[in-house]
Amino acid sequence: MITATKKMVRNGCRLVLLMALLFGMLSATGIARAHEHYEVVTNASVTTRSLSSNSLRAIFGMRQQIWQDGTAIKVFVLADDVPLHNSFCKEKLGAFPYQMRQAWDRLVFSGTGQAPTKVSSSEEMFDRVASTPGAIGYLEKTKISERINVLQVK
Amino acid sequence: MYSKSNNRVSRRHAWAARLIAMSAILWSFPAQSQALPDSQKLPSFLSATVARMSALKLPDAVQVHGFATQGYMNSTDNNNVFGYSSRDSGSWGFREVGLNASVQLRPNLLISAQGLHRHAGQGSQDIRLDYGLIDYKAYSGENTQFGIRLGRIKNPLGFYNETRDVAFTRPSIMLPQSIYLDRTRNLALASDGGHVYGETRTSKGDFFYQFGVVMPIVNGPQTEAAVLGGAAVYPGHLTSKVSVIGRGMYEYDGGRVRLSVSGTRLQLGYDPAAAFPRDMHAGSVLFTPVIFSAQYNAERWSLTSEYAIRHLEYTNFGQIPNMNFTGESYYFQGIYRFTPSWEGVIRYDAMYTDRNDRSGKDYAASHSGSATYGRYAKDVTTGVRWNVTPSFMLAAEHHYVNGTAWLAPLDNPGASTLTGGHGQHWHLFAVQGSFRF
Repeated sequence: MITATKKMVRNGCRLVLLMALLFGMLSATGIARAHEHYEVVTNASVTTRSLSSNSLRAIFGMRQQIWQDGTAIKVFVLADDVPLHNSFCKEKLGAFPYQMRQAWDRLVFSGTGQAPTKVSSSEEMFDRVASTPGAIGYLEKTKISERINVLQVK
Repeated sequence: MYSKSNNRVSRRHAWAARLIAMSAILWSFPAQSQALPDSQKLPSFLSATVARMSALKLPDAVQVHGFATQGYMNSTDNNNVFGYSSRDSGSWGFREVGLNASVQLRPNLLISAQGLHRHAGQGSQDIRLDYGLIDYKAYSGENTQFGIRLGRIKNPLGFYNETRDVAFTRPSIMLPQSIYLDRTRNLALASDGGHVYGETRTSKGDFFYQFGVVMPIVNGPQTEAAVLGGAAVYPGHLTSKVSVIGRGMYEYDGGRVRLSVSGTRLQLGYDPAAAFPRDMHAGSVLFTPVIFSAQYNAERWSLTSEYAIRHLEYTNFGQIPNMNFTGESYYFQGIYRFTPSWEGVIRYDAMYTDRNDRSGKDYAASHSGSATYGRYAKDVTTGVRWNVTPSFMLAAEHHYVNGTAWLAPLDNPGASTLTGGHGQHWHLFAVQGSFRF
């Protein structure tokens, strides 16, 4: 009897621990979402206001070249090792920066696509997205103004 | 001419000047295609669609990229890789230089070309047009797209074939030779013809497909030596016949899981020299490899495995007996990224020329003087790579190999014979530096 009770208690503890872990993971995801300090941004000329994450991945993967209205897409990114690029790749594209680099390299060196345009700072990102028709990029919320659009990712 | 932000040409490197000179040659290709009016290239209903799309300014639409790699090889037991690597001082004879240009003429119209110089032992060529193609995306919707490519197109085989000469895209200095066999690389690299391609994006992953009808490229002494089994033994030459190639790929969760099946039905003919006294006929070769590929990508590590079954048929050569056999190859590879700039690779790679005779005993019994170990190769590779900057990397690796099946015959005369003086168990040490922009 005593061993059975012990077993039940032990199993109960394990269950509680597992639940705690699961809740911890859930709330951690929630916190990560709440703390996203950047947005996907587009040039003011872009009429698309929301996009599926699949489409976003195809655009930043340089496989989708036109917006829904038929205008050309121009992709801007920060360097592979910039923390904002890392966060954006992981959270919005569901990929790691090295995977994006590999995908671009496969296109560029097989002649089946082009690489995105690299900008050297968030300031340059803002300037290029604001001034290039069809442009898409990502930017810290604090640096976004009315001159560019924010794109909702579904 | 090229966009400033992502196409920096470093002037620090002396040889960059040579690369730039090469670009002048490449320019002629995009420039000519640009001059053609769209209406001549496309049916009118398509050109109407094209016309509606805003034209890009040329500087933004043009990209130029390139790479240069220098390797050093040192091996044992008289087995040579990329030059005379088994001598004490090793070999510096491994070099790859490439330069490409692409122009996005319209959002759905891309032309591109790459020139490649590669030196890797006796079988290498000087400069070749690696690819040169026009890519027209006929349909581009929210979740589906498809298009066509015409010209010289890289062969979509396995995970690595299309960029096999670009060091930055390789997991190691030498690709797993069981599948990316260097001595038949000229056949494997690219072919001339047309491809249709497409992709479908779903909530359960993305599907990619590509299918081509092509003529294989058969020039090059290495190819003839590899296919016909010896350098300059037969004075005729190989000819290409209509072949097909294709690949289907599935990517789950942004490429965390990648699965692919690819294959080709490659046909070659043989044009015997008229004055040849021996009885060599206009034979044919049919090569039908199928490759299954799988990869798992995590933040720090990636696991990759590929398996190939390679059916080969020789018919009606006269001098060469009719042959019909199936080879088998596979590898398991793990990559670990210690930091974003340091990574290690470990791999087991096995190749059997004839899967029904893995030990090579049957072959040796029926071909006097042949070594059993010329019919297989089992390679344990460990390597390290240091991405010094995003555009410069250094790598080093060690191979311990049992067997000589993938050694290039031109660098290793008699490698499959007992009298050739080539060892069964051997080591290869390789170092490589590579720059790209």
